[in-house]
Amino acid sequence: MASVTFHNVEKTFGGTKVIHGIGFDIHDGEFMVLVGPSGCGKSTLLRMLAGLEEISGGTIAIDGRVVNNMESKDRDIAMVFQSYALYPHMTVADNMGFSLRLRRAPQATIQERVAKAARILNLEPYLQRFPRELSGGQRQRVAMGRAIVRDPKVFLFDEPLSNLDAKLRVAMRGEIKALHQRLKTTTVYVTHDQVEAMTMADRIAVMHDGRVEQIGTPLDLYDRPGNLFVAQFIGSPAMNVIEGTVRRGNGALHLEAEGGIRWPLGDGGGADGQRVAYGIRPEHVMLASPDTLGAVAGEIIVVEPTGAETELLVQAGSVQIVLRTHGRPVVNAGDKVGLSVDPSMVHVFEKQTGARLAA
Amino acid sequence: MKSSWRRASTEAKLLLVGIPVLIWTLLPIYHLVLFAISPKESAFAGQLWPDHPTLHNFAVVFREQHYYLSHFWLQLWNSLVIAVSVGVLTLVVATAAAFAISRLRVRGGRTVMNLALFTYFIPAAFLAVPMYKTMGNYGLLNNQWSLILAMVTIAAPYSIWVLKQASDKLPYELDEAARIDGASPPQLFRLVYLPLMTPSLVAIGTYALLLAWNEYLYAFLLLSNDTQITLSVALGNFLAADDSPWELLMTVGLIYALPPAAIYYAFKRYMVGGLTAGAVKS
Repeated sequence: MASVTFHNVEKTFGGTKVIHGIGFDIHDGEFMVLVGPSGCGKSTLLRMLAGLEEISGGTIAIDGRVVNNMESKDRDIAMVFQSYALYPHMTVADNMGFSLRLRRAPQATIQERVAKAARILNLEPYLQRFPRELSGGQRQRVAMGRAIVRDPKVFLFDEPLSNLDAKLRVAMRGEIKALHQRLKTTTVYVTHDQVEAMTMADRIAVMHDGRVEQIGTPLDLYDRPGNLFVAQFIGSPAMNVIEGTVRRGNGALHLEAEGGIRWPLGDGGGADGQRVAYGIRPEHVMLASPDTLGAVAGEIIVVEPTGAETELLVQAGSVQIVLRTHGRPVVNAGDKVGLSVDPSMVHVFEKQTGARLAA
Repeated sequence: MKSSWRRASTEAKLLLVGIPVLIWTLLPIYHLVLFAISPKESAFAGQLWPDHPTLHNFAVVFREQHYYLSHFWLQLWNSLVIAVSVGVLTLVVATAAAFAISRLRVRGGRTVMNLALFTYFIPAAFLAVPMYKTMGNYGLLNNQWSLILAMVTIAAPYSIWVLKQASDKLPYELDEAARIDGASPPQLFRLVYLPLMTPSLVAIGTYALLLAWNEYLYAFLLLSNDTQITLSVALGNFLAADDSPWELLMTVGLIYALPPAAIYYAFKRYMVGGLTAGAVKS
């Protein structure tokens, strides 16, 4: 087990800078997820940590030791690839034991460690099979087994679940998390799927355009996104964002959106006259009767029941608002409704920079 | 009813093309066989099948009972040694080059490959004399190494190109996984690359082997001693006489054609898979 430290890390590909001075720590035993849209540099950062890409600037340290000029094999890391990257001409057992074989470990040790990993991952019946004879989920487990067998300081996962179907993905998500809780090995996990990030991570680093936008626990990021990008990236369905101007009327602040629609605002969310982006999560918008005082008038466009919850798409002025409610409201498309918002749940961001304002 | 009629007509058209092609291909071989099993007197009788087919010619060849055949077994052995050497050496050169260019991504690798391919712009026949001169400079004339090296030179560019294309199709993640697992480049080559390249290696090895086996011009130029030459050159020598023993020439020709045929059929499935695997860049 080990900590990982990024210090002012940069990456340039032929004159184009793709990683702009990233610095943060990953604690010993932590499950850190790097999440962001494609092209944000998360995989590049992971590959730099793995030693598969050169580090153009700054330092990366594992357990306090700078690894910039160290070969992959000397970094004591194990990586699980999106494409599994299993050796097709080797059996499952040989695949898992390959790294030990290269290190000239005694045959007995190899067998013992492979057997142990196979037991953890329920791969015992498949040890003599070849990768082509396995399903996608089993292959993914072999790839994890190959990593476990090495007992590395750090596990690296590069979008390991992207090639699996939706159901298997959820199952494997649970398995990886359980595995981490059991082995407690420091883990760096790259994904573009914010649900994966939220459900698995101890902490999440949200990346965008080669920069880390925010680092925090999943619920931190959800409850207090540091900027508009994080606010819209984390959470599904995404946060509603309404652009407008802060106005003070009757002593309280509100947002005046296009068409003069007024959205209630808590205290401290920007100054009078400031242009802002007003964010509210779908579960913090509530249905009210159209004539409720202070409610925003709207018209239901789509009703999407999912069983436990119902999602509604509501047209309010020029914007469409998604709202999520428990239970099964008796409404139909075309109904006129009111939308009420709990002002304490509102997030306000500066229009220009996207930075979070005040409270 | 209509569809079965159409199918029959399609089949008829295919046969119409296929049968002439088949005859065209088999006719020379038929003549080869016909000569080989005819007695000397009736070899030119113009019959479709000899009155008294015989294996006498084979006996003469195998017992080396003719002036031109006095080194038959040695020359067959020479052909085999040279062909196998060329096959193996070409594989060593081409595999190492393809691995370096495609997997290790050595700087300038592509340029080297293109330069090698560039040699094909000049027909091999034009290079024969320069090659003769070069081998002379190295003092290799009339040494079988000269033919081996010349054939490797001719076979290598195409082999490198095919193997490079085949290498490119192996996922690069495998190399990365192996590197993280602790493999050095030689270990990567031996434990991951070679096993996965086997089909292409068989195809290229066979290609180089057959190229050398069938080579006449270079063998004729570079080797002159009767105990050094290959059987193909010895066959050419048959024609030096006014009354060439055609039936023996054809018999040896038939025997000489058998090993390539055997090799081709033994490795056919690898050959097709391997060669098409390198053909399309994906």
